[in-house]
Amino acid sequence: MKLLRAELLKIWTTSTWWVFGIVTLVLWALTTGINWLTASATLDVDTTGMDAETAEQVRVAGEAVNVATNLYTSGQFFGVLMVMLLTAILSTSEYFHQTATTTFLLTPRRETVVLAKLGAGVVFGLLFWVITTVLNLIVTPLILSSLDVGAQLGEGAVWRAILLNGLAYGIWAILGVGAGILIRSQLAATITLSLIYVIGFLGAAIIFQLIGDRFGDWFQNLQVLIPGLASQLMVSGTELPGNPPRWVGAAVLIVYALVAGIVGTIITKKRDIT
Amino acid sequence: MTARSGEIVVSHLTKQYKQLRAVDDLSFTVQPGRVTGFLGPNGAGKTTTLRMMLGLVTPSSGNALFGGVAYKDLDEPIKHVGALLEASGAHKGRTGRNHLRVIATAAGLPASAADEALARVGLTPAAKRKFKGYSLGMKQRLGIAAALLGNPQVLILDEPANGLDPEGIRWMRDLLKALAVQGRTVLVSSHLLAEMQQLADDVVIIAAGKLIRQGPVGEVLGSMGGGAVVRVRTPRPADLAAALTAATGHVTTLPDEALSVTGLDPARIGHIAFTSGIELHELTGEKADLEQVFLQLTAGKADIR
Ligand SMILES: Nc1ncnc2c1ncn2[C@@H]1O[C@H](COP(=O)(O)OP(=O)(O)O)[C@@H](O)[C@H]1O
Ligand SMILES: [Mg+2]
Repeated sequence: MKLLRAELLKIWTTSTWWVFGIVTLVLWALTTGINWLTASATLDVDTTGMDAETAEQVRVAGEAVNVATNLYTSGQFFGVLMVMLLTAILSTSEYFHQTATTTFLLTPRRETVVLAKLGAGVVFGLLFWVITTVLNLIVTPLILSSLDVGAQLGEGAVWRAILLNGLAYGIWAILGVGAGILIRSQLAATITLSLIYVIGFLGAAIIFQLIGDRFGDWFQNLQVLIPGLASQLMVSGTELPGNPPRWVGAAVLIVYALVAGIVGTIITKKRDIT
Repeated sequence: MTARSGEIVVSHLTKQYKQLRAVDDLSFTVQPGRVTGFLGPNGAGKTTTLRMMLGLVTPSSGNALFGGVAYKDLDEPIKHVGALLEASGAHKGRTGRNHLRVIATAAGLPASAADEALARVGLTPAAKRKFKGYSLGMKQRLGIAAALLGNPQVLILDEPANGLDPEGIRWMRDLLKALAVQGRTVLVSSHLLAEMQQLADDVVIIAAGKLIRQGPVGEVLGSMGGGAVVRVRTPRPADLAAALTAATGHVTTLPDEALSVTGLDPARIGHIAFTSGIELHELTGEKADLEQVFLQLTAGKADIR
């Protein structure tokens, strides 16, 4: 507990957290704006589709839930990236600023230091989640009502997506701590993680789009192994046809986080601090 | 576990890097109530030894015990051992006070401990300034404050005088002496012999990772020719070197043709030159640099590494 408090104090006493916080808010506003446009487009198409009857109306209702979950979890794509970078810096800055010596003098049992960092990382991940979620809960009903759709807050799927979104933020925080240990250089870690996240996400999406069909459904389902796609899957509203179930997305991310955490701990224990 | 005393016992400590044996079967003891100088030329293995003692670098073999307990096994180690090592920095964007508060929090000490430690090293006026704005001397003081935070029985400092001005060095010397007088164990490394002559009660001297000598400072320095180095320039270096060597001086020729002499003081050298009728262009008593003394001690025994 003492160590967790110390790690949190480390974050509070530098400017990193609020810089990342502001960047996250700006990106959240952008994403939400884009989601708004997408939502109105999606809903427009559906409501103007007059050709069908009851079946179609059910589909539209389902669509509204999905549109709503997308809006209520808005900001996740960049939010978890920022959380990952922030928690990676939690590890890399110990070497960058040469505070690792002091840290491990204080706590020679290094695995507890890693645990404290994971804990502090999760606290911050959840903080970012709480803030973006509160903003989404304020803004989304306004957007939906401007599109003549109800707030959808009675829907279980919406709340489940919001909670799973929190899980995603927590897991990405753990991934960040682990990645920061693996890539010791601050600059290298920041650049590598951002590139892998964004390019990996887009690249994978494109590749699966282009060649996925040739191999069939089982290959399409491998998409979930890409961390960014996995966390998106977690927050999809209802089961989408042709996609693996949501829990698979969570399981994939948890496995990544466990591997990052365990490998990070082992490396930290073995490394000479010079 | 808690340490039973302030004694430090280092036994057969060895660190083998890929090609280099940085520390080689090194054993020595450090007593409470005294300042012990840990001396050796650059690259001798001082830093590696201290880091192994503190559990930061894993030894290839051997161990170091603080009152019978390894550092890693101490409960709340900074309350027994305080350390200031090279390359132990603070976050550039964090204030000095917050740096100490992080340490205090991790050690379960109240935030007021941070302010007391700052006052102790005279940094209170700079408490709310960021670390990146600190001078080298202020950074060293902050490091000392961190080392003293837990009110430890044992203090370990790696080249603490590096980058300090003469005023700062005197301050450090007085502080370390006062801490030893209080009965604490003080182990301080340096590559400068002169610095240690005024500070240390005992010395441990290493070269190339091996123990050269250990004991009270007077005894050890006496056996090393007093440690002082005199620089002499003359148009007839060969003749003077022969005369000085005959008078039990130890002479080496420096790259600029000057002679570097140990074992004789400037007055004696001047007298020898006078009686031999040799003209002198320069006669300077230099600060004893352990590295020079070492070069001379080990001259002829080359290949120490
Ligand atoms: N991580 C390392 N890998 C390889 N060699 C090292 C490492 N750290 C130190 N050394 C070498 O070990 C020797 C002792 O270094 P050090 O303990 O820093 O000496 P000192 O502090 O006495 O100047 C030096 O030759 C140095 O180059
Ligand atoms: Mg050194």
